[in-house]
Amino acid sequence: MTLFSGIRTSHTLLALVASALLITGCGGGESTDALPNTSGNNNTVSYSGPPPETNDVLNFKRNVWDNLATQDKCGACHNDGGQSPQFAHENDINIAYAQANTIVSLSDPSQSEMVTKVAGGHNCWLPSTTACVDILTTYIANWAGGSEGSVKTVELRAPDIKDVGDTLTFPEDSSAFAASVYPTLTTYCSECHTSNGQTPYIASADVDIAYEQAKSRIDLNDLRDENDDLVLPEDASSRLVQRLWFDNHNCWDDSCQSSATTMLAKIQDFIVALGQPEPIAPELVTSKALNLENDGLLANSGGRFEDNVIALYEFKFGEGQTAFDTSGVSPALNMTLSGNVGWVGGWGVEFGPAYEDEDLGMIRAGKAQGSTDDSRKLHTLLTASGEYSFEAWVVPGNVVQEDARIITYSGSADARNFTLGQTEQLYDVLHRSTTSDENDAFSTDNNAMLLQATLQHVVVNYSPNTGRQIFVNGQPTGDVDPDSPGLLTDWDNTFALVFGNETDGNSPWEGAVRMVAIHNRALTPEQVQANYDVGVGQKFFLLFSVSHLIDGMNESFIVFEVSQFDSFGYLFSSPFYIDLDDTATPSGVPLKGMRIGINGREPSVGQAFANLDVTLGSPDYEPGSGQELSGLGTVIGLENGPGADEFFLTFEDLDGKLYARSDGNLPAQPEPDDLDPVSTIGLKTFGEINASMSRMTGIPVTQTAVATTYNTVKQQLPTVTDIEGFLASHQMGITQLAIQYCDALVKDTSARAAFFPSVNFTADLTTVFSAGNRPAVINPLLENLVGTNIGTQPTDTAITDELNGLIDTLTACSDTGSCETDRTETVVKASCAAVLGSAATLIQ
Amino acid sequence: MTAFHTTRQLVLRTLAASVLIAMLGIYASNVQAGAREQAKRMHDRIAGVPPSAQVLNDMTSAISDGDAAAAARTAMEDPAFYDVTLKNFISPWTNEDMSPFVPLNDYTATVIGIIRDDRDFRDILKGDIVYVGDSSLGLPSYNVRNNDHYEQLEARVNGSTVSLSNPNHLVKTEQSLVNGGELPSDATAGVITTRAAAKAFFSAGTNRAMFRFTLLNHMCNDLEQVADVSLPPDRIRQDVSRSPGGDSRVFLNNCVGCHTGMDPMTQAFAYYNYEYDGDIEAGRLIYNATGETNDTSQVAGTRVVPKYHINGTTFEQGYVTPDDGWDNYWRSGANRRLGWDSNLPGSGSGAKSLGEEFANSEAFAQCQVKKVFRNVCLREPGNGADRAEVDRIVNIFKTGTVEGPYNLKDVFAETAAYCRGA
Repeated sequence: MTLFSGIRTSHTLLALVASALLITGCGGGESTDALPNTSGNNNTVSYSGPPPETNDVLNFKRNVWDNLATQDKCGACHNDGGQSPQFAHENDINIAYAQANTIVSLSDPSQSEMVTKVAGGHNCWLPSTTACVDILTTYIANWAGGSEGSVKTVELRAPDIKDVGDTLTFPEDSSAFAASVYPTLTTYCSECHTSNGQTPYIASADVDIAYEQAKSRIDLNDLRDENDDLVLPEDASSRLVQRLWFDNHNCWDDSCQSSATTMLAKIQDFIVALGQPEPIAPELVTSKALNLENDGLLANSGGRFEDNVIALYEFKFGEGQTAFDTSGVSPALNMTLSGNVGWVGGWGVEFGPAYEDEDLGMIRAGKAQGSTDDSRKLHTLLTASGEYSFEAWVVPGNVVQEDARIITYSGSADARNFTLGQTEQLYDVLHRSTTSDENDAFSTDNNAMLLQATLQHVVVNYSPNTGRQIFVNGQPTGDVDPDSPGLLTDWDNTFALVFGNETDGNSPWEGAVRMVAIHNRALTPEQVQANYDVGVGQKFFLLFSVSHLIDGMNESFIVFEVSQFDSFGYLFSSPFYIDLDDTATPSGVPLKGMRIGINGREPSVGQAFANLDVTLGSPDYEPGSGQELSGLGTVIGLENGPGADEFFLTFEDLDGKLYARSDGNLPAQPEPDDLDPVSTIGLKTFGEINASMSRMTGIPVTQTAVATTYNTVKQQLPTVTDIEGFLASHQMGITQLAIQYCDALVKDTSARAAFFPSVNFTADLTTVFSAGNRPAVINPLLENLVGTNIGTQPTDTAITDELNGLIDTLTACSDTGSCETDRTETVVKASCAAVLGSAATLIQ
Repeated sequence: MTAFHTTRQLVLRTLAASVLIAMLGIYASNVQAGAREQAKRMHDRIAGVPPSAQVLNDMTSAISDGDAAAAARTAMEDPAFYDVTLKNFISPWTNEDMSPFVPLNDYTATVIGIIRDDRDFRDILKGDIVYVGDSSLGLPSYNVRNNDHYEQLEARVNGSTVSLSNPNHLVKTEQSLVNGGELPSDATAGVITTRAAAKAFFSAGTNRAMFRFTLLNHMCNDLEQVADVSLPPDRIRQDVSRSPGGDSRVFLNNCVGCHTGMDPMTQAFAYYNYEYDGDIEAGRLIYNATGETNDTSQVAGTRVVPKYHINGTTFEQGYVTPDDGWDNYWRSGANRRLGWDSNLPGSGSGAKSLGEEFANSEAFAQCQVKKVFRNVCLREPGNGADRAEVDRIVNIFKTGTVEGPYNLKDVFAETAAYCRGA
């Protein structure tokens, strides 16, 4: 993520000054401001010349001339008497029309000379040439009328044929790794990442295992960048470094920066040890090589419905502090980026949370905000139509954030015209209308997990007929607006449009926005689906030449649709085979095991076509359109960026050119470390305690009182056998259960007669517990509850002594004559429970 | 008040005496164990209850005669081995929380029955088998929509008049019979297709839970331990974001590691679902047999249950499940160490053949032995001697003794003999 600083601000100012010089230097024109003054009315021009001769002239005037004839754009030079072509002729619209026709292509507006001239650097009135190009294209497309929404055909053209460049490869032998990176891994990562711990086993005791597992996490490009400077940790692509630098993953010495620096230094030592780049292994069966930006054919084929768009953000600029509104509808509602905002590869901006920067101090959470003056066009145009469609491609950063504003047109936290927000996995829509409270959220409750932390297309429609409707990824969510349809007449024209936050900065949203379009008509479900189908970002066709591999075919290519997926990866999808010579058709050509290579290597991750097994030729091959190889897509990690990364394909078999791939031998598993010795005895667990007590007392577990107590205390009893986990609460539960069993035993006259055959429960207390009679109580307990002659159990003497002490205490009442009538039973129960609830039962 | 006071005093004094005796017990346990003490420990560990005097004598004799495993087999004749030890051993496998505090169910009962009847333990992942309470017990019959049959059976189990150890009380039948035609025999896969497992692991979600918990409970590996980023991701479904939170590195380094192997194998469960309407306790296992189809957003007229196609727009270029064909990608790469059976093809259709793939792996056999080791020895195999013993017992488990291969009683017997103390 690029953080904006004072340095960037001065760059922007320089750009502004340069633009001013260019425009004022066109000659003949009046001096003008570098930037359009979008807050006033001088961006329009009044026309009093002859009327348009045809409807097409009228269309030209409405869509092109009215926008460009102003002094802040082309009207300053290409006017009556000015530079040719005079397509901004202010005195005769029909002349302007005729002149414009010489420099536009209505069938392909983006290829118009008017557009390509500006794209080449000719007097863009904005700091961003791409923004001017997009706006001009929009004007011309609108003039063409209905061309928006149409799909154009992309003509495949053969790229320059290049061989795969030299590269470094991982050596078979792990010795270089063992001497460089491995010691750092074993020192700092072996607490978890050993062979018996967590994957990846990068700190395995076996260096070969560690090497195998570390390969996919080391990028051999991490030595020097394109300027031949040493790669810094923040720019490193090796996952081993990124985890430390960006994720703060178990750093050492209290510093993730120094940990990452150390790791990168070791990786660079490893790379240096590999020597100079070498040609790709000759035994590999490879296609020719391509670069995305230099060799890719633009694959965006249009098809978006934008007839009623009033503000459009595609975030193509990629740097600076402004996201341009390229809708072409004046005034341009440009958004100023502030706080923790960065540009995303493949078009987009990313909003991050507030954080403390060592040099810059507190950085606020990210936000993009338009001025209230410019934002007023939303009020004007949306209240006029009474309906709207807010459309966006978003990537929520997580699914736990709440009260997070993605798009809001508001004045404060609780004063808004419109808000699209996130609450965990719900999209929230709030708006002001004559029938809706501006602070009542209408959410995607119909599917509680609809919002995912991944690229999603979200459309919020509103019309007086249907109320609010939410579409995610082209499909209606099924949520029904609880409010009856109303009017937008109460909207406030002093509010501002904000992305990624609230105007007050207190409701930050984490995530990326890759496109926003605001329409002043609700899109139809079909249009929503069509716009979703078009996708977002720049797409290319990459034509990998394989003619040299297929006999008799001279213009054969495997074509991928490729785009930059996010800042860290490329999306390769929908590969097909085609020979550009329509007269040539392959016949029975086997194609197996296709892999994507990048910068001279096959990345180990993401090879979704490795199992491909098809035969090129009839009946699947169609001259002119080719043969689909797979409907799948895959993500390949970005290394040096779309301008530098070089791609190629490899094959296990293409037309009999074979490369045998072997899985290698499975390294032997290292012997695990010995565990610390643990106790050889343990606790019985809940069910075992219950069953043991039942078995010892002869009272079945199904006895009502016992079963009730067991069910009450069951979860209080030990659940694991670890004796070191024994708690006082366990003993309380055990005691309760023991007393219940002994109570059941003593109360059941036949059971107690069987258990204590020599105890006369009706006799006098002192008689029952006289020294001579006590064995009648104690011995059955020893025999049934402890067992006889078992050395690991407590000795009879020890238990007898304890029980005698207990009995003495409990029968003391007989000295004062205050004993209850059932005291004998009570004392027997207590004696029973003291043994039953003891370790004699509990330990196994 | 006085009565309350008396009771409280009683509890406190009893507790104090118990604690004192407990301390005596712990002290006593440190003494050298002879055959009689070893027998006591083996019985406690296997049956969870103390032995009768006669059983203790018999086991002592067997140990003295040098056949500790025979002593262990004697302990296994105690009903509590089935009613208590095995029930609590198996119950955590039947729910996502891995709680032992769950009622008896068809999963638990079936594994208990397979062990009791000396059946090939591999049947737990592939057999058309289920154990139910005998009709003579007067229980409500097995019901695909509730667990009443087993809960009432459990309430009756008392170790004497009613016990899971009794072949006349817990009896074998076929899942294809009790499921009323919903589940053809070739769609049964042991415990995987029991109602309890379906409720726990086929309810809602994407059926990946069934794969993960089968891996966890019967292969003793969680996904983290088998993650392999280098396998082809071509079978990862559309519902897995390739750029979570806008960062494809997370997918390429983490998510992909588990999904490359998991998704092509979880495809085996593509025709299964646990359907319920609000009350999960009243749901039932559903299997889309031939001719039973659903229309999903991606595929019309497919036998694949709709949950396999949910969130299809998360990554549209992902895999769209067409059927229940599965492939074991872990036969390549690092997870070859799980020891797959080279006599099996490593691919197939449906849960039964996947269960067979798992059950015939080395990891499956190792896992059963390690689970029993933990249960009987009360610890992990922690040193070279333990590991060698585990390997020896695994070998016995695979080759069998008296009752044939894959008899879990052999594992209990051998393990209890090893951990009987010295």
